[in-house]
Amino acid sequence: MTPTDPYRWRRIAAGVALMAGFAGVLFRLFTLQVLQAAELTEKADRQHRMSVMVEGGRGGIYDRQGKVLALNMEVPSVYGIPASLENPAGVARDLARVLHVRADEIERKLKREQKFVWIARKLDPEQGRSLERLSLEGIGTRMEGRRFYPKGPLLAHVLGFAGMDGQGLEGIERRYESYLRGETQKVILQRDALGRTVFPKGLNEQGPAPGHSLTLTIDEVIQYIAEKELDEAVTNARAKGGVVLVMEPRTGAVLAMAVSPKFDPNSMNGLTPDRWRNRALTDAYEPGSTMKVITAAAALEEKVMGPGTLINGENGQFSAAGRNIHDHEKLGWMTFAQMVQKSSNIGAAKTGMALGEERLYRYLKAFGFGERTEVDLPGEAAGLVRDAKDWGRQSLASVAFGQEIGVTPMQLLNAVSAIANGGWLMKPYVVSEIRDGKGTVVAQAGPQIRRRVISAETAQALTAILEGVVTHGTGAKAALAGFRVAGKTGTAQKIDPQTGRYSPTLFVASFVGYLPAEDPRLAILVVVDEPRTEQWGGTIAAPVFRRVAEQALPYLGVSSKSPIKLARADGRDEVERTGAEVRLVQVALAGDPS
Amino acid sequence: MIDRVMDNRELDRFDWQFLAVTAAILVLGVLSIYSVTYAQTGTGLPLYIKQVLWILVGCAAFVAMLAVDYHKIARWSYVLYGLILLLLAVVLMAGKTSRGAQRWIPIGPFAFQPSEFAKLVLILVLATYYAHAPREGWIQRVVLPGLLMMPGLLLILKQPDLGSGLSFLAIYAVLLLVVGMRSKAMGILLLFAVMLFPFAWELLWGALHDYQRERIMTFLDPAYDTGGKGYHALQSRIAIGSGELLGKGLHGGTQSQLKFLPEGHTDFVFAVFAEEWGFLGTLLVLALFLGLLMLSLEIAVKAKDVLGALLAAGIVGMLGFCLMVNIGMTAGLLPIVGIPLPLMSYGGSAVVTTMAALGLLLNIKRRRLTLFY
Repeated sequence: MTPTDPYRWRRIAAGVALMAGFAGVLFRLFTLQVLQAAELTEKADRQHRMSVMVEGGRGGIYDRQGKVLALNMEVPSVYGIPASLENPAGVARDLARVLHVRADEIERKLKREQKFVWIARKLDPEQGRSLERLSLEGIGTRMEGRRFYPKGPLLAHVLGFAGMDGQGLEGIERRYESYLRGETQKVILQRDALGRTVFPKGLNEQGPAPGHSLTLTIDEVIQYIAEKELDEAVTNARAKGGVVLVMEPRTGAVLAMAVSPKFDPNSMNGLTPDRWRNRALTDAYEPGSTMKVITAAAALEEKVMGPGTLINGENGQFSAAGRNIHDHEKLGWMTFAQMVQKSSNIGAAKTGMALGEERLYRYLKAFGFGERTEVDLPGEAAGLVRDAKDWGRQSLASVAFGQEIGVTPMQLLNAVSAIANGGWLMKPYVVSEIRDGKGTVVAQAGPQIRRRVISAETAQALTAILEGVVTHGTGAKAALAGFRVAGKTGTAQKIDPQTGRYSPTLFVASFVGYLPAEDPRLAILVVVDEPRTEQWGGTIAAPVFRRVAEQALPYLGVSSKSPIKLARADGRDEVERTGAEVRLVQVALAGDPS
Repeated sequence: MIDRVMDNRELDRFDWQFLAVTAAILVLGVLSIYSVTYAQTGTGLPLYIKQVLWILVGCAAFVAMLAVDYHKIARWSYVLYGLILLLLAVVLMAGKTSRGAQRWIPIGPFAFQPSEFAKLVLILVLATYYAHAPREGWIQRVVLPGLLMMPGLLLILKQPDLGSGLSFLAIYAVLLLVVGMRSKAMGILLLFAVMLFPFAWELLWGALHDYQRERIMTFLDPAYDTGGKGYHALQSRIAIGSGELLGKGLHGGTQSQLKFLPEGHTDFVFAVFAEEWGFLGTLLVLALFLGLLMLSLEIAVKAKDVLGALLAAGIVGMLGFCLMVNIGMTAGLLPIVGIPLPLMSYGGSAVVTTMAALGLLLNIKRRRLTLFY
């Protein structure tokens, strides 16, 4: 045995053995890291890269004084990591106490074969704090933006509401969705094996821009007054519901829009669309006598009638085109003005007949009936005005005192506003200003004239007649000390859905008017649906008008003694008076939201 | 044979290579542990600092094993084995349980894993046995050493620690083959087979159904893959593969940093390294390990006596087995058994054991020249 020979081949053999083993491993690594690299890299990316849409906060909604009506709140949502729970049942019990949810429901979620489960989303901040105090293993909270309406039901029908993911579903929230919604940005996140996301650094600085905020023409205080008085009237009259609308006749700016019954957009659970529908816009009704204002305006403008023209009241019984028309008060000869003030159906029918179908129809259309007012809120109805050609034999008389026609409260008040402001039909609006996240104004809305409907003289004459409604007519209860009030009552029979005829018991009591009559600042419509104590607009609706006006005028600084100041709705839309007419300075509407 | 003197010459080129390769592997290991755990917020020392401390302890062990003549060490092997058996029994009675296995004896902030030390002690015991036992008779050659190994093996499997158990068997097999065969050539050929064992296993294992493997695995080692069903293996493959050619850079390994890859600092440290250093990095690390094993093999081959040769062969077998099985399992070639990557995986007991073994190797090499000259 020579010292070298046996070792030599052993060394070679062992070396070869080692080499072979290493070659095998190396081949495998080459396969993974070079041949399958792209495929495995893609798998890796799928695991840890997650692209999410990050969204800026939703914009706020403010009233004309800058009071907040809707805002975004960062509220906690609670999630669980099932894999890191040792005792799901115990954790579920602890959570259930804080969340007020059944423990077994939570336990079921926590036992899911998932890396991440939401247990409850958008909780109250207090619940979030309680959870943090518990500091349960495998349970975490994450802040999410929740829409919050600090005033509860106030203005709810106008504001609408936003869904769980912050999308506007109704009202202004829906109509101005594209503005309110925050900018969305695609962000690539890293996600770890527990499903926790690791946000890239510097996200906050370059994060998506928040949504635009809106300033409304609505005044929170007047809205509150309107809602309070409407609620009281509806409760006292045991009515089904009602609407109070307050507008600035010169500009078309809506100051208040109250709908009863109300709802709280913060807790929508169990509510049906019926409850949140904005009836001031969506529901057309037969207006009854308030419509005589329009008939009278047409007759005066067409000079078919003058304020002093005598009409025979036929002692409360008149047959026109085979239909018997009754007045609630038996009247003989009366002036045209008295016809309006006493709300004579017979007189109105005769006025309508004097106008003729074609002309009456033309004025109805001119005043905006049968078409949308284009107020910047969703869901508006056009109402129902049949074409003159389709009118029946009795239609002319009926339409003249407000039957066979469907109008929305918004349409009616806008039409009456046209009389109040001297003959201009305006486009009503609710949003006056849109600001971006930095507070820069990006769009403004001001008064927009749609057309002239009647002359200033006609408007003035009609106003004088309507003042008489309050001073010595059906609307006496709308009178308030120190102000001249122009208005008209309405007591409309409703059609019984069962019989299809006018019901002897179902009424819509309403009052529409404006004040101060010499220089109207406010136009107000009160509609009470199916009052049970009494049916008269003069006794049910007129007092509501008075009480709203009584409180709103001093708030706006309008006193009977002080001269009327130029209206400045929100500091931008200026209204100047030139002579008897109102010239409206229109502020360009940059970027119409529709 | 009587007068064994330490070779007092300065470290030669071989020794430097041996030390440099070892140090390089250790550094890469610490870097990978640092990368995967630096972001962890926990109480106490960061893991990479702990690993560095363990490496310092390992250096002491290395020097100790180098300084004392390995014949003297071998004289204590039965005592050491008894001590280890005692510790393994203590582990079972009072050890720390982690992930379903009871393997550790806590000492302050550190945990001490006797099964790692047991591997080296087993090499000592078996080598000592074979060096003095008669070479004839299958009882003496196979059964008795098998019985000698059995208490340790059973105590380890009871923990359970399948990885250490398999290492035990591998050491036994390597030594059995080296001494038990009529021809030493056969022994070497079978050493070859052990090196290729991972691939042979793959063939056998591959023939089984998934659920069969799972049953076997959960039976043998319930600590692994609890509910994961191949999650470890898949994540490890993804981590390695997504490292591509050049790697994602230190701290850049998304799969390990974001915890998709479990056990990144211990058994799967190779996957972390591969993800961050790429194929070029794995080439480097494999070259280093290959170098270390070639040098070790040379020591085994050139050992001056039977004891030295057997000790060196056992150590080479242990290192080679752990290396192949660990990389094999991280690369998805083998089922996942808990075997750490020598010198790189986090774990004090493993590092100290491996460094002590390397010290012993160098001891064998440096004393071979003294005989008969």
